[in-house]
Parts: sequence; C-alpha cells; structure tokens
Amino acid sequence: MNKQILGYKCKKCGHVQYPYHSRCKKCGHTEWRGFDIVFDTAPLPQDGKLLTFTHLYALPPDFEAVTVSFGIVELSDGHRITGQLKIEAPKIGMKVQGKVELVRQEGYTKHWGLVFYSAA
Amino acid sequence: MRDVYVVGIGITSFTRLDYPLAEIAAYPALQAMQDAGLDKVDHVYVANMGGGRVSNQTALGSAVVDHLCLWPVGAETIENGPASGASAIKTGAMAIASGMMDTVLVTGAERMNEVNSLEATDFVATLAHPMAERIYGVTLPALAGMFTRLYMERYGVTSRHLAMVAIKNHANACLNQFAHVQNKISMDGILDGKDASHNNPVIADPLRFFDICPVSDGGAAVILASAEVAKKLGKPLVKLAGFGQATDTHAVHEREDPTALTAVRLAADKAFKMAKLKPADVDVAELHDAFTILEIAESEEVGFFEKGKGHLALERGETALNGKLPINTSGGLKARGHAVGATGIAQAHEIVLQLRGDAKKRQVKDAKVGFTCNFGGFGNNVVCLAMVRE
Amino acid sequence: MSVDVESILRTVDHELPPFPPKVIMLATGEPMVIRQASRDEIPDILPHVEALIHHDRDFYDVVAARVYSELLGHFKHRYQDQYLLVAQCDGHLAAVVNGRAVDAKTGMSLHTLGLRRGLRAGAHAFAAKMEYHFDQLGHQEVLIVAESPIGFRRWMIEYKLEKRFEIPHELGGCPSWSLTRALFDRARGSLVVGSRPVGKELLAKAMAAILPPTDPPKMAPDFLAATRARYDSTGTAIIARTQK
Repeated sequence: MNKQILGYKCKKCGHVQYPYHSRCKKCGHTEWRGFDIVFDTAPLPQDGKLLTFTHLYALPPDFEAVTVSFGIVELSDGHRITGQLKIEAPKIGMKVQGKVELVRQEGYTKHWGLVFYSAA
Repeated sequence: MRDVYVVGIGITSFTRLDYPLAEIAAYPALQAMQDAGLDKVDHVYVANMGGGRVSNQTALGSAVVDHLCLWPVGAETIENGPASGASAIKTGAMAIASGMMDTVLVTGAERMNEVNSLEATDFVATLAHPMAERIYGVTLPALAGMFTRLYMERYGVTSRHLAMVAIKNHANACLNQFAHVQNKISMDGILDGKDASHNNPVIADPLRFFDICPVSDGGAAVILASAEVAKKLGKPLVKLAGFGQATDTHAVHEREDPTALTAVRLAADKAFKMAKLKPADVDVAELHDAFTILEIAESEEVGFFEKGKGHLALERGETALNGKLPINTSGGLKARGHAVGATGIAQAHEIVLQLRGDAKKRQVKDAKVGFTCNFGGFGNNVVCLAMVRE
Repeated sequence: MSVDVESILRTVDHELPPFPPKVIMLATGEPMVIRQASRDEIPDILPHVEALIHHDRDFYDVVAARVYSELLGHFKHRYQDQYLLVAQCDGHLAAVVNGRAVDAKTGMSLHTLGLRRGLRAGAHAFAAKMEYHFDQLGHQEVLIVAESPIGFRRWMIEYKLEKRFEIPHELGGCPSWSLTRALFDRARGSLVVGSRPVGKELLAKAMAAILPPTDPPKMAPDFLAATRARYDSTGTAIIARTQK
C-alpha cells in the first residue's frame, strides 16, 4: 500500500491543517457527527523545499544508527512538515522529494513518516 | 489584586544527587523557610517533570508536604515541562494575589540520576509533538539544531557567537558553588584549536557539545508572601512585580516563522506590562540557555536587543558579568545546570540573590530590577517573571 | 643452594617499545601531555588513584580499585607485559591509562581513569593507548570492556566496536568487545587528535614529576544530609540507591 501523510480539511472553511488539531486552527470550527469529530482528509504533497536541517549524533537509545538527519520542509502546497533526510550534503532551499518509510521502531511499535531525498 | 513578595530562597547543588526526589525538593524548601523565618506556610506547589516516569514518584506535592511535616496544608505538583519551575511560581503568585493565601512555598526538584543521558534526552523528547516530531527520533537538541541553522543563515550568528555564550556562562558558574559545571573553557579549546573538534564534538549540527546544557539533578525553592507578611518578616523586600505566560504551536514547523519565539515575546510583554517596566529597566537577567543559541534568541525576543542583533551585544560584552546587562550570572542552564523542574525556580533564586545584594563574587552592582525567562517545550510554553527590589 | 622464589614469582616481561609522547589542547585551552610512565613512577601515581577507591559515582570506585591493584602488581612484577601512559596538565596528573600485550597480534585494554572531569581527558588518553597498541605494538586487535556507562558510550559506540563475546575479558571475565585495526583506522580522523613532537619545555615539565591532580573527582557537597536518613538501613535513601 502506498502510505501517505494526511492533511485535515475543515468541513466549514476548507482550511487544511497538519498536524491534526481537534478543531480547525483557522476558524475554530468543530464538525460533529454524533460523538465523532470529522474532518475531510487529503494526502499532503511530498515534494517541496528544505527550510532547515540538522544531523543528530545523540540519538534516542532505540536507534542503532550513529547519526540521523532531520529537516523541516516547506511542501509544494505551503504546508510545513518535519521529516528525516537521506541527503548526503543538504542545503537550505534545495528541492526535495519525500517518501513515506519506516522511520522508527520502538519495541514492537513501528512508526511511519516522511523521508526526504534530493530532488535535483 | 494584591502585591506578591519573595521572602525566602533555597537551593541544592545542581549535580548528580543520590537522594530521593522528595528530599531534593524538601531540602531547599527548608532552607527557604529558614531564610524567611517561617515554620509554616498556607500552601505548597512543587514543580517537577519526570517524577512519575523517571523517579517512580508520583504525587510529589504530597510527598514533599510529608517530608516537611506541613500537614494539613494543600499541595499540588505542577508539571509544565522545562518551564514547570516558573509555572509553579506563577501559580503561587496568583494564589497570593487573589487573597486566598498569605504565604506559599514553591519548590522544584528533578532527579535524572536513574537514567543515562541518552535516556534522559529521550524522556525530555516526550514533550515534542508525538506524531509530527517524536516518531522521527527528533529530540530537543535536534529541534534546537534546526533552529540554530536557520538563525545563522538569517542573522549571521556563527559558531563563534555560540561558543562565546558557553565561555561566558562557564566563567560565571565558576563563581557559583552550586553550579554543575565549574570549568573555565577557552575559544582555543572548544573552537579554534587543532584538537577542538574532539573536545567539542558535533551533537546536533551545527550545535556542539559545549552548546548544550548538562542534565542535572537539583532542587530550588522560593517562599512567596503578601505585602503584609513580607513587611513583618523584615527581609529585604523583593517584589514579584510581574509574570506572564504564553503558548505556541506544539510542532515547531507549524509556526509562521520558525526562527520567531513568539511565546517568549508575548510572555515577556505580559510580565513587563504587569510590572509597569520596560526591558531597558532590567539590571540582571536569567534566560533559559538550554542551548547557547537560546540565550541569544531570547535576549532579542524579551526586548533587550533588536531581533537579529543579540549576538552583536554579546560580542560587545554587554551581557557579561561586568557588562551593561549581565545575563545568566549563575552560569545559566549551560553551566549552573538544568534540573528540569527546578530550573525556573533556580533562575528566580539567582535574581533574588542579586537583588538582595547577596550574590558575592558574581554580584551585579546596584541591581534593582531582575528578569527571568523559563522556556518550556521548544518554545511552546514560556513563563517570564519580573522582580524589583524595593 | 636456596631457590630464588622471587624469580619464580616474577612475570617474564617482554621489552615493549616506547610510546612517542604527544600533546593535546583541552577545552580550557591548556596543553595536556600524554606520555609513557615508567615502573619507577608508579608510587607517585598510586596515592591519587587510592583517593578515588571510595568515590561511589560513575563506577570510579571499581575502576580506581582495579587500577590500583594493576599498578601495584606491575610495580611488584606481578602483572605481565603491562604498560602505563599518563596524561598531565602542567605536570599535574589528568588521566591514567594502562593495558597489556597478550601476544604479537592481540592487546588487552585495561583501564582508563580520568582525574579531571568534563574535558574528555580520559577519552584523549584512551585514544592514545589505542594508538600505542596499533602503531607501536603492532597489534591487529585490542580487546576492551567497559565498567561504566560512560565508558560504554565512549568506546563501544563512538568507535563502533565489534563483539567478541566468546572471549572472556581479563577484567572480571566479562564478554569482550574488539577494536580492530580497520575500525581504528576509520576513527583516526575524528577521535584521535593531538600533535607530535611535544615541545621541549612542555615535555621536560611533564617528565620532571607527576604532580597531584588539580581538580580530582569529588562528591558533591553533602547539603542534603539535614533531611535524609543516610545511615538508617531502612531509610529511603537506601531504597533510592537500590532502585538504580
């Protein structure tokens, strides 16, 4: 299955937010369906430009790698997202392409998230 | 609304302490009670972050009251991440301002001794956004690393400026017997010299080892009182003239400008407004330098310097112990140490010492107005305090 | 004719090549000299090691007690093929490292004892002893164990050591880790620093005498004694200790 990161679209004003908040960040609306709060969901684009990044050498104990790179990416629709980078020498402003991959495994729990590659 | 005064202070060494968490909170509390000349208080607030998860001690407020034999006064634990300390002071101040209480003990403690530094960092990372940040392995140093890179790119801050903060705060800590790290460091040793890269390895590029605060155990306490009580006790009058708090988005990437620490600016504005003061009135400040970059960025956001100019003031030596506006005279989190729940109270402890004129070798001359900024999350929950010597 | 018992008890030491001294600048800006110490200098070092035997923090007690016994054993010819390097700042002892040549191919790393904390003095001294194993003794691998979490992070993780768990290490029989020549060569650029030769004056100062450490590890001031029951065996402090 092609995994995606979802944006949450307000039923009233149409604003798309990521990450999830329990009500619309822009207009404050909550759409109730019985006891459920509902948003329309739409996958976020996965391409964008790199805003900033770091190479972390002191990783949480469940990581085996010596270093992992992280970055904040401005996606092509203007949303921003934090993800891992698999880019040799990242540069601020470079074009990147993301892919949803396994980013962390804590015990039996698997976390999936965006990993960005150079789009050049 | 009634005025609030700080009438007693106490602190432990910030280091590794082999004592139960409740004792680390009780010890400075006793010192503070002795300092104030009180043997009871009306209420107790205890600031702590990791008690439940790291130290196997929940309901710390009750445990501390028990240690201090203060039954049956009310007590709560206040948890607001790394800003727990100032949050607890703010809560205590509101209790006094409201007229509900006349004396409040606010004590904070943290004990990370049980876990190694990687586990401690992982624990602190639980305050990051669970789905948008933490699942990737993002820790506080990683968020700070990304913040620093953008700051450097935009404002011309360099590794040299960061090292200057560390060198200054290490030197200040050498004058503080309670500080965690009492080593004088030099530019040659951590940046310029041939062996500097090994002495000062990269942790979260561009942040290096000496840009990041240690994980400390420690406790600190203050006693707050109404004007009536404070005047009776006869201690030098230090008024908690203003406090302010503000929050921001949980995920750092969601902020309009990721280099803006909006919550710091808003919390400081509120504190200054309440105290009827301006940033220029401040004589001495303790800012939350968990990472060296934060001292620079916060010094701008709270209004001491223009945005993007904080590093220039640092270059000119204005924030040094003998400068115009000494920052982190205690050594800051960088060198006094960061005992998470106690940090905000340790900052207030230092300001009260300075305003009383009791800071000995690191005394700032004629300090009348002091300011603290306690930074929770990565800037998503910030509490600022303004204090005035009367 | 009487039997010379001492000659039976004594180790049969091989001649080990000298370690070329080097100098490293610490974070404080001071130069730290790392050099080989001779057997005759051991009595000058022992008192500073002994002081740490009761330092119950970060396994300083275990490491100091063992270093003490190894150095004493070496001094009295009861520890075969041991070498000893010392790190000094202006003559003052900053770190002690020792190890042993097992055979022509294998080295056994013994201990790293930092006498100044927070400045990576121990890490520099450890790197120097690995240099000695590979560059002077010509070993192909060095067997290592860590006795403290700090050591584990430094050696096992930073150097990315390989497991040799089938070999019990001489220190307590724990499973060994191995630093191979290939791993060490990879780490040279980042973990092995310092320069040679050491300036004449600097070296002369270091050789002249081993002075006491300026800032040895010490327990935090016992400010909490007032509120806790440290000496009460049923006391909470003991519970906190055993939970660690």
